[in-house]
Amino acid sequence: MELQKFYYDNKIVRMFAYATMLWGVVGMLVGLLIACQIIFPMLNFGLEFTTFGRVRPLHTNAVIFAFVGNGIFTGVYYSLQRLLKARMFSDVLSRIHFWGWQLIIVLAAVTLLAGFTTGKEYAELEWPIDILIAGIWVVFGWNMMGTILKRRVKHIYVAIWFYIATFVTVAVLHIVNSLEIPWSIMKSYPIFAGVQDALVQWWYGHNAVAFFLTTPYLGLMYYFIPKAANRPVYSYKLSIIHFWALIFLYIWAGPHHLLYTSLPDWAQALGTVFSVMLIAPSWGGMINGLLTLRGVWDKVREEPVLKFFVVAVTAYGMSTFEGPMLSLKNINAISHYTNWTVGHAHIGALGWNGFLTFGMLYWLLPRMFKTKLFSNKLANVHFWLGTLGILFYSIPLYWAGWTEASMWKQFTAEGVLKYPNFLEIVTQIMPMHYMRAFGGLLYFSGMLLLVYNIMKTVKTGSFVAEEPAEAQALQKEGGRLVGEGWHRFLERKPIRFMILAIVAILIGGLVEIVPTYLIKSNIPTISSVKPYTPLELQGRDIYIKEGCYNCHSQMIRPFRSETERYGEYSKPGEFVYDHPFQFASKRTGPDLAREGVKTGKLYKPDAWHYNHLMNPQSMNVQSIMPKYPWLASKEIDIASTPKKIRVMQYLGVPYPEGYDQKANDDLKAQAEGIAAGLKASGIDIAANKQIIALIAYLQRLGTDISASPTAQK
Amino acid sequence: MSNTDEKNMNHGEPEIDELTKDRFLGGHEYDGIRELDNKLPSWWVWLFIVTVVFSAVYLVGYLVAGWWPSQSKEYDQEMAQLVEMRKSAPDVSVDTATMIPLTDVASLEAGHETFKKICSTCHGQNGEGLVGPNMTDMYWIHGDSLNNRVTIKDLFKVVTNGVIEKGMLPYKDQLSPLARQQVLSYIITLQGTNPPKQKAPQGRKYDKFG
Ligand code: HEC
Ligand code: HEC
Repeated sequence: MELQKFYYDNKIVRMFAYATMLWGVVGMLVGLLIACQIIFPMLNFGLEFTTFGRVRPLHTNAVIFAFVGNGIFTGVYYSLQRLLKARMFSDVLSRIHFWGWQLIIVLAAVTLLAGFTTGKEYAELEWPIDILIAGIWVVFGWNMMGTILKRRVKHIYVAIWFYIATFVTVAVLHIVNSLEIPWSIMKSYPIFAGVQDALVQWWYGHNAVAFFLTTPYLGLMYYFIPKAANRPVYSYKLSIIHFWALIFLYIWAGPHHLLYTSLPDWAQALGTVFSVMLIAPSWGGMINGLLTLRGVWDKVREEPVLKFFVVAVTAYGMSTFEGPMLSLKNINAISHYTNWTVGHAHIGALGWNGFLTFGMLYWLLPRMFKTKLFSNKLANVHFWLGTLGILFYSIPLYWAGWTEASMWKQFTAEGVLKYPNFLEIVTQIMPMHYMRAFGGLLYFSGMLLLVYNIMKTVKTGSFVAEEPAEAQALQKEGGRLVGEGWHRFLERKPIRFMILAIVAILIGGLVEIVPTYLIKSNIPTISSVKPYTPLELQGRDIYIKEGCYNCHSQMIRPFRSETERYGEYSKPGEFVYDHPFQFASKRTGPDLAREGVKTGKLYKPDAWHYNHLMNPQSMNVQSIMPKYPWLASKEIDIASTPKKIRVMQYLGVPYPEGYDQKANDDLKAQAEGIAAGLKASGIDIAANKQIIALIAYLQRLGTDISASPTAQK
Repeated sequence: MSNTDEKNMNHGEPEIDELTKDRFLGGHEYDGIRELDNKLPSWWVWLFIVTVVFSAVYLVGYLVAGWWPSQSKEYDQEMAQLVEMRKSAPDVSVDTATMIPLTDVASLEAGHETFKKICSTCHGQNGEGLVGPNMTDMYWIHGDSLNNRVTIKDLFKVVTNGVIEKGMLPYKDQLSPLARQQVLSYIITLQGTNPPKQKAPQGRKYDKFG
């Protein structure tokens, strides 16, 4: 057998590694900003581009897709080549992948701040960028599968199983959740509405956590922990079982984001049980990671890289236990909409993703530069700053979550809400927000130390762009051999492996989504629910554009503490024209689902909304809602009305035939009415301003069924 | 399960890891990473089984057998309890026909609390008026114009039933009658306090008040 000589492409790894560091700094800095905005609303700077509602999606997208995304690619491009004893399939594809991904990130940052958003969490990017993402993702997958096919190692290692699952699942999720009909070059409406849209979105959202933040990182764990510790993987059998169980079960668990909402009970129950069944498969990964370190624990105490890995895997174990617990209805009833969820998410993000990335960078960059890490001491300081940062971040938020939930729910002996003023609760948890911001600052300083340490390391070393390697060519082998296990066989048939993975992940998705789509009885129609008027529709788009959903939910759960505070609980039939749904997942401010109900608990006159949007602090000194003064100077984009109406009609919203041409007349009439009312209260504002449309939308919220509460068929 | 091939193919004794005394899997080596032939930890297998059994019971209990209430039933039960609670609550009713402002410190404190928590959004922290009218001047919208006086009884009606068209909410469900009397008693003490940033007068001027 001939020995073939070839070179690993280290350059692409270095590019991704630098991008990881750059976006890590940016993403975390933006996170720090929004943490401070919650404390000092003036940090919204009174500019539309810097308000919380627009910056928060920038933070989540930056850390997930830019920081962690580039982290994934760094690790994959490094490990894949070595595990397969092959250079990447195509240098050109590698470069397209790299630059394409960075372009996406820059476009994302610009468009999100400019207010182009789909209004769906973690999938905010608009349709042209969605298409670009799909294209670049395919380039990544093509390059990876190409490398796998021209490998010089017979079997594919467990890390690569995870990479393959990541590739196929993210592709499916992204495409299904981004099905949308454009009405302009930058804007679209999703094809799903209301409860269905919510189900698809959280099927996506949850699996973005699963297949973007978890499976690729498990793959990285399987490569970098054994390498850094120089120890064998604890159990191959466990790898097989936990891999397949994990990808099969994960895909069903999305509805746990919608417990006690108006999602059908059966879908909620599926979300709960599949989350609970995920404990063992997730822990399988943790065990395989931690037990790989048996015998070298003394090394762990000294080697910062291993320390980072141990905390990362432990954080993974913690959050994958906490997640299923949060999927139990009675716990979710407390945690949902509160800061608890934010704390939970950051154990995963800061602990698992962050620390694994840091360990990986500290290990791999000195190697590619044929040198030692500039300072182990600094890396240790980083480790402690990061660990303390996580503690200061999460503990106060858990505490805040508990406080919020208990204050939301308490009744007095007379049977009325003990804390009827939402703002009192916001004020109560302010100290916890301070501590969280401090934790974030600690974590961020650690990140800066990493950058410094790596810069110094790079200076002392000399980069090996083309790392020579040699291996024997792969012999062709056909069908399953005698005595060969079926899985071992599958490991040398990557295409079959990929197809099986697709089948595994499609089952859960189809079972959940197809029924809600087909069976009408899942969403009982309510005859009094009517499409939005053109003005309200425009207002709704402003609501989405400003990212109000980042602080306000529109989903009242069937708890007396919520119906007493907000009004009648939400019914699935109320949302059938909501493209997209706006349930949201966090209540930094009060729920708005019944804001417009005149006989309701929250009703405010137009003048109040006007003054409040212009300057919330003038109404309540302690309010932390940003100001929106530009809404009173910018005009409603009435040219878009006919197009919007037509897309809505196409999606099945029953506006009368030809209504697109008349819509603006109705819009103007309604706007004049509101402006005249405001004038009577001493507010002079032209009827064509955006604030008028937003007020019209807010006053519409929740009103459809209050007209005839028993209309449910 | 699937590694029998290597055991058969690499004749002879399997190699043992020195540090842990566990067996290596022959032929499993990737860029220097080897794999051990350990079984699944049995506590892990049990954990998995328990969660699967839990799930089966959960699905049957909720969706088929109805052992536990659906969320709308749960809500009905919770609301029934609330109704009971309200029935057995201490008496907070007031006699609206003979009502006069309360003057004891405890009532005024309680009224002040309610005002700060709920009313100040629209009537201002010090009653100076925002979207709602100024509470500190002598001008009122809902007075008794026949007798040229404003009484707590008149205002009680406003707070109880609201003036929805104008944006004043009804508080009959959110505040007990006593709490309404308390907050109004507090409001009455604001007369003439002359806070900064007062809203322009609304309604007409009344000479008798209380
Ligand atoms: C940073 C979080 C945040 C954002 C973003 C935000 N709000 Fe608020 N909002 C709050 C908080 C906190 C309150 C409660 C205090 C108050 O009334 O100002 C509130 C209150 C409200 C209320 C009054 C609810 C009631 O009846 O008591 C409305 C209406 C409202 N917001 C609408 C909006 C709209 C519309 C947007 C987007 C243009 C928006 N909010 C964006 C935090 C936010
Ligand atoms: C959402 C804003 C809002 C809130 C909150 C609010 N009010 Fe009002 N209130 C108004 C408005 C607007 C009016 C004027 C009604 C009218 O024009 O008839 C008013 C009128 C009144 C009046 C009659 C004033 C007069 O001149 O006759 C009283 C008394 C009153 N409110 C008490 C309260 C109390 C007590 C609370 C708290 C429990 C409260 N309000 C909370 C908006 C509000």
